Amino acid sequence: MQLFLKKRRAFFFIGMGTDLQKNNRKNAAILAALTAGVIMLFFVSLLCGVSGMTVKESFAALMRRGTAAQQRIIWIIRIPRILAAVIAGAGLSVSGLLMQTNLNNALASPSTLGVSNAAVFGANLSIILGAGGFLSTGNNLSGYLAGINPYATSLIAFLFSTASILLILGLCRMKSFAPGVVILAGVAMGSVWTAATTVLQFYATDVGLSAAVIWTFGDLGRATYRTDLIMAITVAIGIAFAVLMRWRLNALLSGDAAAKSMGLNVNALRFASLLLASLMTAVCVSFLGVIGFVGMICPHVVKRVMGQDHRITVPASALSGSILLLLADTLSRTIGKGAALPVGAITSILGAPFFLAIILFRKERSGDA
Amino acid sequence: MLEIRDLCFRYSRHVPVLNGVDLTLNDGKIGILLGKNGSGKTTLFRLILGMEKPERGTMLLDGKDLSKCSRRERAKRIAFVPQAVQFGALTVYETVLMGRISRFGFAPGKEDRLVTERVLAEMRLLPLASRNVDALSGGERQKVAIARALAQEPGMLVFDEPTANLDLQNEQLILSEANRVAKERGIGILISLHDLNHALALGDRFFLLKDGTIRYTGGEEVFTEEIIRDVFDANVRIVTLEGKKHIINGGL
Repeated sequence: MQLFLKKRRAFFFIGMGTDLQKNNRKNAAILAALTAGVIMLFFVSLLCGVSGMTVKESFAALMRRGTAAQQRIIWIIRIPRILAAVIAGAGLSVSGLLMQTNLNNALASPSTLGVSNAAVFGANLSIILGAGGFLSTGNNLSGYLAGINPYATSLIAFLFSTASILLILGLCRMKSFAPGVVILAGVAMGSVWTAATTVLQFYATDVGLSAAVIWTFGDLGRATYRTDLIMAITVAIGIAFAVLMRWRLNALLSGDAAAKSMGLNVNALRFASLLLASLMTAVCVSFLGVIGFVGMICPHVVKRVMGQDHRITVPASALSGSILLLLADTLSRTIGKGAALPVGAITSILGAPFFLAIILFRKERSGDA
Repeated sequence: MLEIRDLCFRYSRHVPVLNGVDLTLNDGKIGILLGKNGSGKTTLFRLILGMEKPERGTMLLDGKDLSKCSRRERAKRIAFVPQAVQFGALTVYETVLMGRISRFGFAPGKEDRLVTERVLAEMRLLPLASRNVDALSGGERQKVAIARALAQEPGMLVFDEPTANLDLQNEQLILSEANRVAKERGIGILISLHDLNHALALGDRFFLLKDGTIRYTGGEEVFTEEIIRDVFDANVRIVTLEGKKHIINGGL
């Protein structure tokens, strides 16, 4: 028997094993290319800006040489922003992947549970009420901005989105974690937050309204080292979870019944995945505003090109999310000539044609979700 | 050996779906579960697989109480081949390796890969090992589902209408694989089928489910025109050709 197995094994590696290895090598090459892409874009983005600094000056400032102003531009303005793009891109993309797998739906995105809508409501509430946006409060925006806690808006946005997540997951826990139920609950909850935001904005003053709307645009310029650290910790936990659960997530692709028959606690896995995916989104959206499309498009394209194995799709989604957001932010700063365009809009403008091209022109890998 | 005694189950407060099911299946034997649509076949499978909790009754596999097993423990004892096979775009090798998840937890080891290769060889799937499962034919996909179930190294297999969406050739292929597995591995297989002739050709023991209980059980002798009329509310004729029973649709 042992000999038989050895012979079989030898046959396996000589025969079919080579194809598998070729496949693995191809995926490893793509992952390496994506990693190189992130590093390269990091430096490209570092060099782009409206300050007129040359490449040499930028690198000098990076090495803590050059003028104080140049060092400030690189270390205080550009690096936190670039780090935010890398971290939030990865977080939103992995969050989208977790949503798509757990809800068995290609259209699921990081904010399927209404997380972004809740964050927007929280931020609107904070800005419109707190910053004097309401008709008769008499406060003004500058008073708010000079306020004690610069993170007040983010904090309130985060509180509302977390409350929304817990409410939906709590409701689903009572009824069912079936994908259909979760999606419908998410859509319902999301529309409640949107409606509440509309009511709030209706009573806001012009100043409050514009401040609130601008907040929703999504801007990486809001990032600081502290916000980056908080985002990095949350995103790291989320990605570590996805990596650890890669085989279980793969099993979930076979449907609930098959996954359960293989010994998986499907409800617990789904609860933890949705919670972590939503928390990653909540943190990113609360600090940076709404950045759409990254979380839906990146995992989708990755699955189209590299298959659905989570050992590959988790790192590939993270890296491609970072690349898309870095690229979008760099472009928004370059095109806008100082006034950075809303990065959420750029991700869609950049991503949508690529997305369409993949759908229309790439040979179908049937069964891709 | 699977022994089910007085198994009862209802979805919430509705009328009971299963109302005192008794069933015994020996190792190496194929038991066929028959009954009309909605008679509770799938529910019985869900109970055996631990997806639902019974209201009353016991389920013993080789003397071990299944309702006291953890999910992973149960997955090591019983494996499932679903009706509609769905995998996600993984390779055949990885899909079969996934069957080991109840044993490896987070990442497969050497032993898991060895078992996977052995099962692939047994199911003659080695030439397809690196192919994407979603690019395979219906029959091949069903074979992969069986291979994945075998990778769990179970003491028993449960098939829920495994030939429902297959053409004639693939139907025969899957049923002969089931037969081979039961005989070679000496494990019990419980299969639900709609085609009575397939059932007759394949089964060692038959369980005819009606009104939440196993109304008739036994060998080939349970196939009489009266019993089939009682269980399925349908008229058939039974003829014997070359010593074997064949069922002809008599309703048309």
